[in-house]
Amino acid sequence: MSAERLAPFVLIAPAVLVIVLFRLWPLLLGVNFSFTGDGDRNGAAVGLDNYTELFADPLFLGALRNVGWLVLLLPVAVAIPGMLATFIYLRVPGHRLYRSVYFFPAVLSPVIVGSIFNLLLSFDGPLNSVLDVVGIEPVDWLGDSKVALFTVVGVHVWATFGMALVVFLSGFATLDPALLDAARSDGAALPQVIRHVIIPGLSRTIQFVFVTTMIGMLTSMFGLIYVMTSGGPGGSTYLPEYYIWIQQGQMNRPAFASAASTVLFLVMLVVGLAQVSFLRRTGKED
Amino acid sequence: MKQRVLWPAAVVVALALAGCGSATGNEPPSNSASGKLVVWDWKSSDKTATAYVEKAKADFAAKHPGVTLEFVAQPFDQYYTLLGAAIQAGKGPDVMMFNGGGQIRDRVDALVPLDQYVAPDKERLAGWDAFTKDGKAYASPVTLQGHPIYFNKDLYKKAGLDPQKPATTWDGFTADCAAITKATKASCFALGNKEGIGIQFFLSAFGSGILTPQEYDDWIAGRRDWNSPNVKKVFQLWKDVNDQGLNSKGGNSTTMFTDAFGIFQSAKATNIIGLMSDIGHWKDFNEFIGPDNLGVMKSPVITAGTTPSLPFDGGIGYGVAKWTKDPALAADLVRSLTSTDALTTFYTNAGAVVSDTTVKTTDGGVAVTAIVADLKTGKPALHVALSSKTIELMGRLSQQILEGSVSVDAALKQLGESDRS
Repeated sequence: MSAERLAPFVLIAPAVLVIVLFRLWPLLLGVNFSFTGDGDRNGAAVGLDNYTELFADPLFLGALRNVGWLVLLLPVAVAIPGMLATFIYLRVPGHRLYRSVYFFPAVLSPVIVGSIFNLLLSFDGPLNSVLDVVGIEPVDWLGDSKVALFTVVGVHVWATFGMALVVFLSGFATLDPALLDAARSDGAALPQVIRHVIIPGLSRTIQFVFVTTMIGMLTSMFGLIYVMTSGGPGGSTYLPEYYIWIQQGQMNRPAFASAASTVLFLVMLVVGLAQVSFLRRTGKED
Repeated sequence: MKQRVLWPAAVVVALALAGCGSATGNEPPSNSASGKLVVWDWKSSDKTATAYVEKAKADFAAKHPGVTLEFVAQPFDQYYTLLGAAIQAGKGPDVMMFNGGGQIRDRVDALVPLDQYVAPDKERLAGWDAFTKDGKAYASPVTLQGHPIYFNKDLYKKAGLDPQKPATTWDGFTADCAAITKATKASCFALGNKEGIGIQFFLSAFGSGILTPQEYDDWIAGRRDWNSPNVKKVFQLWKDVNDQGLNSKGGNSTTMFTDAFGIFQSAKATNIIGLMSDIGHWKDFNEFIGPDNLGVMKSPVITAGTTPSLPFDGGIGYGVAKWTKDPALAADLVRSLTSTDALTTFYTNAGAVVSDTTVKTTDGGVAVTAIVADLKTGKPALHVALSSKTIELMGRLSQQILEGSVSVDAALKQLGESDRS
């Protein structure tokens, strides 16, 4: 083979090696490891035992169900920064201040955000005191299994929407102001402007925010869960990542944790492929 | 697209069929170069433990002058994760700290039985049971951990009650609580169950007042009848106490470490099931409510005919890793870490109730004196006998019982199944 034909392979070799050695190979080891046992059966092949146990564990099924909840809550998590960006774009009074204030939480680490909200949302904390003043019964925001997951998601949205807001604002920069003026002079009200001008004009941006917000929700909730609820109460805020961590770290069951990791990987693979094809399809529209 | 799905699928099937090999080596190499011992714990970086570690180091250096020691303090919440990784790799520290109970029993495969090395310490130290599995001791106890019921004498006085004579029956106890709540608004118990730990303390603190001595000993010996009326009584009481409003509010969202302790320390609750060592113990409480105001009691009698006792076990201890080069040398370090001198320092600086029964504790206040006096009749704590899997399940179920989303019977059924498997 001539040097010229060899050159491209040599050039991509470092990148390929890094991916194979540090990504694919450990991934395969992990999958292989998930077919072995823990404790007394350490190292022995156990076939699909770990997976059978995994899908019989209501806690893990609950964690997967919670992933489903996150997907369902996604439109809300996208709509909030979208609305706020619209108001800033339409120059509500004080929009300059809001633009920087909204971004501020994005620079805080989840642990700090979680600790702050632990104080705010505790049963005898400030939020419940405010509710008490207006005559509403106190809510155990983090101690009631019907409410806790939504509380944590709400805090996650609060902590991360700044980034999506910035993306939306940059999307607005590409919007043709003449369209807005035209709509206004035709007598369109604000909801109509949003419905017929802003949303169609920002469709690419909205899709991008959907994808990035989804990834953020599925991969970076661990810190908040760990600090705010420890998966509780009664396992109601478990997510697969937290389950894996508990099995490996607290239960000393690394092979079982590998099985859970493999399932999480497959879930992410499906979501990821769906998103890629979604993006590709929308890319073709232009 | 089809190919992209097929390929990983083929790989998964191949791996499943192979199903062999694990990440664990069978012949773990040792990393303890001669003349160096590595110790992992989560204590040695605490200010209150520095002098203790120094004493132990000096004691060891006198016996083995050529050996260097390296103490690596790991963050506690990551400790067992890191240790699990070391065990998987088959190499790591020579000597490591453990909590007694499930945490060490789940990992004895990685440890050397210490009986032959530490035989001279067997009499002097208490708390071996928590570090023993199948008759072999895998670590030497450093502290004792237990669950006294602490109470605030000042609140008793405010309600016109005699703090020297706390009630010894459940009815008397709840009546006192009602009187105190009426006079001071303080709740009966400070409860922290966010981590699912509240139930562990509750089970152990009141167990000796509910289970008959026979049932208690059977439980510790592993013959646990989750369907027995008295075991059910423990969990029913857990629910009733909360339903009757005896707990501080929002127990499921309050951490035991350290929000619940804070509630007790600020006199918003009369009683708390606390600890003997580390934190949430007599020394912490002394600082906030004063040594003269801190009382300790055992469980009231809840089932007639029971004799309440102080539940305690070995708290933390040091064990020796299987992969260490010279187990005798490492065991000698464990002996230095449990020498009377070192443990006396640990008691004085950290307020830990140490495993050494010869350490004098008369200067620490009324509460610690009472605790140490109760050690003689004390029994192992009920929750320490459970596996970490059952403990974790019990934590979750306890939260659901408080919420009312799981009945006591359903919880006991699940716990029984988990305990048997």
